[in-house]
Amino acid sequence: MLRTEGVRKSYGGVRALDECTIEVGEGTVAGLIGPNGSGKTTLFNVITGYAKAEAGNVYLAGTKITNIAPDKVFTLGIGRTFQLTRIFPTLTVMENMLVASRHARAADRKRAMAQLEFVGIAGHHAALAGTLSYGQRKLLELAYVLVADPAVMLLDEPAGGVNPSLVNYIADRIRELHAAGKTFLIVEHNMEFVMGLCDRITVLDSGTVVAAGPPDIVRTDRRVLDAYLGEDVEDST
Amino acid sequence: MARQVYQAVVDGILVGGVYALMAVGLTLIFGVLDIINIAQGVLVILGAYLSYVLSVRLHIDLFVGLAITVPAMFVIGVVLQWAFIRRLRGRERTAMTLLVTYAAALIIEGSLYEAFGPDYKQLSAPYVTSSVHVLGFYLPYIYLYGFALAVVIIAGIYALLYRTRFGRSVRATTQDETAARLIGIDTSRVATLTFGIGVAVTAVGGMMFGATNSFNPNSGYDLISRLLAIIILGGLGSIGGALAASVFMLTLESVVDIWSPQWAIAVFYAALVVVLVVRPTGFFGRAPARAQ
Repeated sequence: MLRTEGVRKSYGGVRALDECTIEVGEGTVAGLIGPNGSGKTTLFNVITGYAKAEAGNVYLAGTKITNIAPDKVFTLGIGRTFQLTRIFPTLTVMENMLVASRHARAADRKRAMAQLEFVGIAGHHAALAGTLSYGQRKLLELAYVLVADPAVMLLDEPAGGVNPSLVNYIADRIRELHAAGKTFLIVEHNMEFVMGLCDRITVLDSGTVVAAGPPDIVRTDRRVLDAYLGEDVEDST
Repeated sequence: MARQVYQAVVDGILVGGVYALMAVGLTLIFGVLDIINIAQGVLVILGAYLSYVLSVRLHIDLFVGLAITVPAMFVIGVVLQWAFIRRLRGRERTAMTLLVTYAAALIIEGSLYEAFGPDYKQLSAPYVTSSVHVLGFYLPYIYLYGFALAVVIIAGIYALLYRTRFGRSVRATTQDETAARLIGIDTSRVATLTFGIGVAVTAVGGMMFGATNSFNPNSGYDLISRLLAIIILGGLGSIGGALAASVFMLTLESVVDIWSPQWAIAVFYAALVVVLVVRPTGFFGRAPARAQ
């Protein structure tokens, strides 16, 4: 469904991504992990067109989408959330949803409300988004990406900075969407969250893919342990 | 004396409506593109000259002529944004746009000198020089019509921003351009159309300014300093703020003018300083977004 091939990206003299190749199968939940600065968010930025790749390509369902404008990438079917939420604080929750939907007809309002109910914040639909708690903002971001019905959802640290019960709540929502056939690529530092949710995990280190495979294989890969996971994973699983 | 003050307040409110028309475009452009369009004052004067040409040479009524000048100014705005401002990127963008819009102002001013010379002009129509007498106040028709038009246009812009999909896109782009792009909003299109709308309203402001003041090609510079003061006081990017600040400042100026015409202009700017000391974001300005 989503594939990057030999993607390269530098900032100044620093190589953020180097020959980065990953694959996300249709209807799967893929994880992207790695230490801070390993290039995970940069790869999200390249996929969504926010950063330009210097080399390599990005494909969505076999179509090359390398370096096209972010709004076109979204229209083609890639939705994204952010490490730090980027909602529109002085728009109401419903307006945030309608900004992301393709049209603004009554059917879209109904659909938007259904997504808000799905993530559990429908009661706040008339509130200004800036008045939501951080956890509610995370849920709103998830909902407004969902309302556009993207082919692939890129979630950047969906469990970051939220309390444990909300982490479980978000994981359950992702499982439900996965069961309904949605495709995900998730960047996350919470290993329990990633290992429990993902079908396949790709590990980045210094912008390079050092391992990829099912969670059970990846967690025992020596290169991964050296690069990133260490004893923490063994402790947490 | 009391009657003089009341009349000055009425005059200030009506003139404030006219200034609001000119300031709304400037604050709308700032809100979305995060730039100060220094050319806005000269564009108002260009709007006045367009009305002048239609009125004097084609004998088209000033208000009817807006059906031609508003779309014309919209196109000029779109071309300005597309040709010059769209290309500016990076950290120097805000400073560069000041220079680019200043350059645009000089080019427009030079062209107007070439076409019309330095002599002052004023738009004329039967309703420009006549008034209606209501409750003891003299209300010039041109200001009444202009104020009504200002209210309609500002309400129209509000409806556009708060009742349409395009308006939601504009407001989302104002708040976070990056996030807006990443959820499918073509922010370049939003910026171009917003700049066009911001310049289109100068056609109306220009007609009103030209009907109530004499003008020549360099009248735009005094105007831009007043418009900047108004949008800063109202809160940068706030349309309601521009209207409130216009009415407040022009009323204050009008009242002070009874006692001292020399101090009237000084008080206009002094009010800006005093309000900003108490409320640095202006009447309706937003505080910076809280850190996450």
